Amino acid sequence: MSIEIRNISKRFGNFVALDNINLNIPTGELVALLGPSGCGKTTLLRIIAGMESSDQGEILFSGAEASHLHAREREVGFVFQHYALFRHMTVFENVAFGLRVKARKERPSDAEIKRRVMELLGLVQLDWLADRYPSQLSGGQRQRIALARALAVEPKVLLLDEPFGALDTKVRKELRRWLRRLHDDMHISSVFVTHDQEEALEVADRVVVMNHGKIEQIGSPDEVYSSPASPFVYQFLGNVNVFHSRVQGCYAEVERNESAEKATAFVRPHDIDITHQPSEEGLQATVQHVHPIGPVVRIELLHGSEIVEVELSRERHEALQLAVGQSVWFRPRQMKVFNGDDLLRSTPEKQAFLF
Amino acid sequence: MAAKTHRVLPGFGLALGYTLVYLSLLILLPLGGMVLKASELGFGQIIDIALGERSLAAFRVTFGASFLAAAVNAFFGLIVAWILVRYPFPGKRFVDALVDLPFALPTAVAGITLATLYAGNGWLGRFIEPLGIKVAYTPLGIVVALTFITLPFVVRTLQPVIEDIETEVEEAAASLGASRWQTFVKVIFPAIFPALLTGFALAFARAVGEYGSVIFIAGNLPLISEITPLLIISKLEQYDVLGATALAVVMLALSFILLLAVNLLQWWTANRHKNNEPLEVTAAKASGGAQ
Repeated sequence: MSIEIRNISKRFGNFVALDNINLNIPTGELVALLGPSGCGKTTLLRIIAGMESSDQGEILFSGAEASHLHAREREVGFVFQHYALFRHMTVFENVAFGLRVKARKERPSDAEIKRRVMELLGLVQLDWLADRYPSQLSGGQRQRIALARALAVEPKVLLLDEPFGALDTKVRKELRRWLRRLHDDMHISSVFVTHDQEEALEVADRVVVMNHGKIEQIGSPDEVYSSPASPFVYQFLGNVNVFHSRVQGCYAEVERNESAEKATAFVRPHDIDITHQPSEEGLQATVQHVHPIGPVVRIELLHGSEIVEVELSRERHEALQLAVGQSVWFRPRQMKVFNGDDLLRSTPEKQAFLF
Repeated sequence: MAAKTHRVLPGFGLALGYTLVYLSLLILLPLGGMVLKASELGFGQIIDIALGERSLAAFRVTFGASFLAAAVNAFFGLIVAWILVRYPFPGKRFVDALVDLPFALPTAVAGITLATLYAGNGWLGRFIEPLGIKVAYTPLGIVVALTFITLPFVVRTLQPVIEDIETEVEEAAASLGASRWQTFVKVIFPAIFPALLTGFALAFARAVGEYGSVIFIAGNLPLISEITPLLIISKLEQYDVLGATALAVVMLALSFILLLAVNLLQWWTANRHKNNEPLEVTAAKASGGAQ
């Protein structure tokens, strides 16, 4: 089922949670709503689910107006960050709940309910826990049960609110992969909210980056990472170094001429190269810290009074043999320049920069 | 040898000792003395006194009226607690404070006030008596007085529990297609039922022992609207100390059995969904089961 969000706005008192949001989610897509806390992503999800009403705008499910529908009529599966399992029911009864509350003529027989519930528990690989109570399960297990419960009523749309937020890294990774597979098997549309960029980039077909109640960018994970539409997206997705520069023609000059308009240049730490030789296009800096972190080595350079973060591969670091206090030269391989008014400046074919 | 567990706050031994002494002095000693006094009578004699026509009627009135009052409060107290927790409305704090008044008011004052209100010429009595409902000086009056006295117990026990229910759980039920009524019956009520039982038990226990408010509104007609505490007092006034003690002991035993039953029920409903298997065991199985 496709979801269409048209001109949705929502305020809480003076706080604008959502400001004229437009978004289309085609059938079968897995979409991530990504943004910092307070950006309105959860509010948007809750409006889609019918748990919150919007001040303006409308929601369409498969092209049909759905804004007036109560949550129970929307055929939407919702998964909460803190599971929201029914504590006094066994795992089996939790999953069966959606089937048992159906009107008598639609309700499956007890045998059918049992079959469907066990099938779902099998799907989440927890059928051996059917008789347990939620308090006896680990966080990861609870969230899988919550998913099975949401899927039991065969929703057309699956909505997940920070589903893995309360879990530890290892479990989270496992569940991500598993959610992706589940989504592909079930042929439904899914929307999940997260503030974890890695999660969004890894799982989703499309990422919607939100900030201050507005959509900053919609695109595939690769698009939003490699060609961010705004400085916010650039900074939110991954680490970045920010240089204040001036623009001249299609060249962004950091530190050179006093001419032209002001702009900001963004460079990812792994797009910076370090050399020992003085170079015409580089800037001089001193090495402040060297942190080997797993497969990469993170170097902190001090340039003037600003700290520049650089990520080198282990091999490159071996070759350079950097030591704290050393004087080196660095230059970016790639950068993106935004004007003061947040508009993208540089043209991709001429990644031009001059230091 | 059992490993010594270290706790953040030390002094278990001291605290337990204090608890035992305290409970002994305050509860066990007086009650024990009473039982000792009663044992001057034989078991048969105690039963005879307890099964006398007048005492039997008094027991019936006391426990019956207390049960009714506690039940009425379980229902309406639930509504009051729900409203106070869930909805903001003007004057909420005032209403919240009002709930505690029966705790603070001398019970005799409550009894006199209620009797005046419900008497045939009282503000309320003059309207309901023509309808054939007589409240003052009847067993119904006892129920009214006891309901008044025990209201705070149910409300105050339920409030924190209702506050604890995550709204997410209700939203989850709604998104699974449950109607409001189904959500209440299947999700919310089971969560608050143990607390409701506790509130009921507290209200019931308080009602059984209530004296001050009841005697003013009950009319105290032997066999009809006489409560056991009053019967005990009247026996004492006739210097029938042994008879009074016998009634007291029977009342004590009955109350204890009833409260024990309610507590067991409460304990069972609260604990049946967490028959605590150590988490490690579950976790070990989990790592075996997860891919």
